[in-house]
Amino acid sequence: MASVTVSFEDLWKRFGRRAVLTGVSGTLRPGRVLVVTGPNGAGKSTLLSIVSGLLRPSRGTVRYRNGETELPRRAWCGVIGVAAPDMAVYEELSAIENLRLFTRLRGLRATDDQLAELLDRLGLAAREQRRPVGVYSSGMKQRVKLAQALVHDPPVLLLDEPSSNLDGAGHEVVAALVRERRPATAIAVATNDPREAAWGDEEIHLAG
Amino acid sequence: MLGEALAVLAKELRSELRSRVALNAILLFALTTLVAVAYQIGPYRIHEEDRPHLLAALLWIILFFAATSGLSRVFVKEEDAHTAKTLRLAARPGAVFAGKFAFNLLLLAVLEVLIVPLFCVLLGYSVAGPLGLAVLLAAGSVALAAVATMVAAIIARASGSGTLFAVLTVPLALPLLVMLIQGTRAAAGSAEVAAVLPALRGIVSLAGVTLVSSAFLFPVVWHD
Repeated sequence: MASVTVSFEDLWKRFGRRAVLTGVSGTLRPGRVLVVTGPNGAGKSTLLSIVSGLLRPSRGTVRYRNGETELPRRAWCGVIGVAAPDMAVYEELSAIENLRLFTRLRGLRATDDQLAELLDRLGLAAREQRRPVGVYSSGMKQRVKLAQALVHDPPVLLLDEPSSNLDGAGHEVVAALVRERRPATAIAVATNDPREAAWGDEEIHLAG
Repeated sequence: MLGEALAVLAKELRSELRSRVALNAILLFALTTLVAVAYQIGPYRIHEEDRPHLLAALLWIILFFAATSGLSRVFVKEEDAHTAKTLRLAARPGAVFAGKFAFNLLLLAVLEVLIVPLFCVLLGYSVAGPLGLAVLLAAGSVALAAVATMVAAIIARASGSGTLFAVLTVPLALPLLVMLIQGTRAAAGSAEVAAVLPALRGIVSLAGVTLVSSAFLFPVVWHD
């Protein structure tokens, strides 16, 4: 797994006349967890969308570096894993079929056993893994979303409210995952949950 | 890239076989209009000299509007189900376009395989050059799938996307429809494949232009 650093400088984002982000800067480094906090509508999800490349900022820059080499924008997708409330997986497909799809789309190969093991670690029972995601509870869907973000073992992980819809055990699974990935992964977590905020080494607070 | 495009196509096929939303919409529209037309016109209510023109036009009106009722779903459903962002982060734009274009092409093939023979039987439409008609249908499907897939990508994030799809597709596909009707008339009247060549040249050119321009435009539409 490559070691990737993400820096963003002076990010501004306007939707019409409303400025959501006003000059936000920060860095994601392997081994560190950056927590983004703030009230609803403060721009936490917008910031992660800009950092992931899904949204363009009105002003400011985002740079991905692998050592001294700057990665072009088209290469960002290969090094990030993103789980967010507005990013769903396919409900007609099973959890295993979803993960198989996302590994193939990234040009990777994984056996069904490897995919099942990842789902097991996220707490999705084996008997559920081959049922269509459409019949899952919201907590089970959240576990598949997280698995989708992790399936290619990305060096950058962007998690937007990762424990939402999860019970206490689910929260512990995500906390363990962040602990396990932290040494080699640059992680950003957008959250309002004090338990998730406690994972952070650094914090950006967006006032809204 | 081919492997990724095939993965997108396989996902589309699997989803469609389980939900059957696009297939049901297209076939229901096509069968309803075909039965209504057959009931009102049948094989005998058009003068012999008017048949080649009218039946060729009717066939393509049924196929075209049935197709527009389902082909936009390839992108609209991604936005509706909030899977578009997940797909954007996982796949290259070229693979997404190729997979969804291939899926729309397959949908059109199913539509044509079912509707064209039924149309010929119910309306007594005899085609002297079935090979010419088959070539024309194949080329027309490629062009129509290319136009529909690109327009579907453009309108997917707009509100009222269904109406917008028809509004944008009809003017873009109108020259194609005219050429397809002319070619079908020629295939019905002559056993020679050469009879459809003038229309075929235009259709292939339009398909080529649409696919090449889509290759450049789609990444911009998909990411911005």
